[in-house]
Amino acid sequence: MTEEKNQKEEKKESEVKKAVKGLVYGMAMHGMVTYALKTRMHLENLFMLITMGDMLGVPILPPYYSLRLLPYSVPHVKTWKRTLLRERDVTDTIF
Amino acid sequence: MSERIKLKEYILNNPGLKYILFGGKGGLGKTTLSAATAYWLAQQGKRVVVFSTDPQASLTDIFEKTIFGKGEVELARNLFALEIDADKRIAAYQEEIRGKIKKMHGLEQVPEEIEEYIRSAAAEPAMAESATFDAMVELMSGGQFDYYIFDMMPHGHAIRFLSMAEILDTWVDKIVETRKKADEYGDVATVLSGKGGLAQEDEMVNELSFIRSRLSFVSNMIRDKEHTAFFYVLIPESMPIMDTKKALEMFQAFNIPLSGVVVNQVYPVELLKDPTVPIYLKNRIKMQQKYLDTIWGEFGTLIRAIVPMFDREPKGLDMISKISKIIF
Repeated sequence: MTEEKNQKEEKKESEVKKAVKGLVYGMAMHGMVTYALKTRMHLENLFMLITMGDMLGVPILPPYYSLRLLPYSVPHVKTWKRTLLRERDVTDTIF
Repeated sequence: MSERIKLKEYILNNPGLKYILFGGKGGLGKTTLSAATAYWLAQQGKRVVVFSTDPQASLTDIFEKTIFGKGEVELARNLFALEIDADKRIAAYQEEIRGKIKKMHGLEQVPEEIEEYIRSAAAEPAMAESATFDAMVELMSGGQFDYYIFDMMPHGHAIRFLSMAEILDTWVDKIVETRKKADEYGDVATVLSGKGGLAQEDEMVNELSFIRSRLSFVSNMIRDKEHTAFFYVLIPESMPIMDTKKALEMFQAFNIPLSGVVVNQVYPVELLKDPTVPIYLKNRIKMQQKYLDTIWGEFGTLIRAIVPMFDREPKGLDMISKISKIIF
């Protein structure tokens, strides 16, 4: 019986810890992380444009060398194309 | 004015020479001169390879042997010839990329979108050029030969081909920079959020530095006067002279030293005295002599050799040997 109780208490404690961690993260870190990730996304998009630009008609790097980099970029191609080709409006500046 | 140095002296005076390039308009005898130079060097006991970057397979014609797409073919002792099959090389390269994608991402099939890109990239006209370029660098960095003779593609291409290295080099710099910055921000996000990092990034930077090394090899090579000589081939006619002048300007703009010019297909002037020679031919000889004067005036000390017009096509090893004896 006591063991069960102990386990329950431990679980509670870890949940409290998690909540505190989440709170601190949300208050202090989240903004920074989002900013870093956003900057990274922009740089990633720029990188994709330079290397794979000819997919969308912007030829910069000769395709012979783009192909060498292609395997690494495969997971990004879809999102990159979507980001670059999607319609934009005023709300873009807010988010 | 310094004295005119002939081709043979030029090569002997520059013992560090390793790469000899022949450029010029199409059909003026770049291949013939490359072959003759290679032949002479091989005769001197050097291990020589002659490589044609011209998509129209001309070494195969001149040596009367199938060289195209066969790798390095030994024609005589120490004399090798190489002519790459760009299409075959591209196809193999595409396959390699497909394999890599499948392996890296554990896929059965290359995604449609990506496959489309791979196929369209290969259809690009610059693709064959790049493939040739790549093969050229690969051959040079192999270091198996004492001399590498390059029969370059006609003028415009050759300069573009060589200057491409420089332009790309700058771009790759920029690419590496954005990549590194992206990584930094990625790392910051990873540390702050306590989540796992992204793999493969180092490999990508490695790949970029590989591309860079290939490109800078060439841009260094063409500027390295100690190891490289670039000769321009022309004939005594107005267009090739103009073309060579233009090339000289372009070379200067790209800071590429030109080692000299070779005047090819010159009719023997003695024929003018021969009464049996028809007026038709005599007119041609006179015209050539007039342009030869222009060439002397324009290029003077840069003229490394004057090669006569032969009574038959310069084909086969015998003929090549004959030409090499005249030049060297």
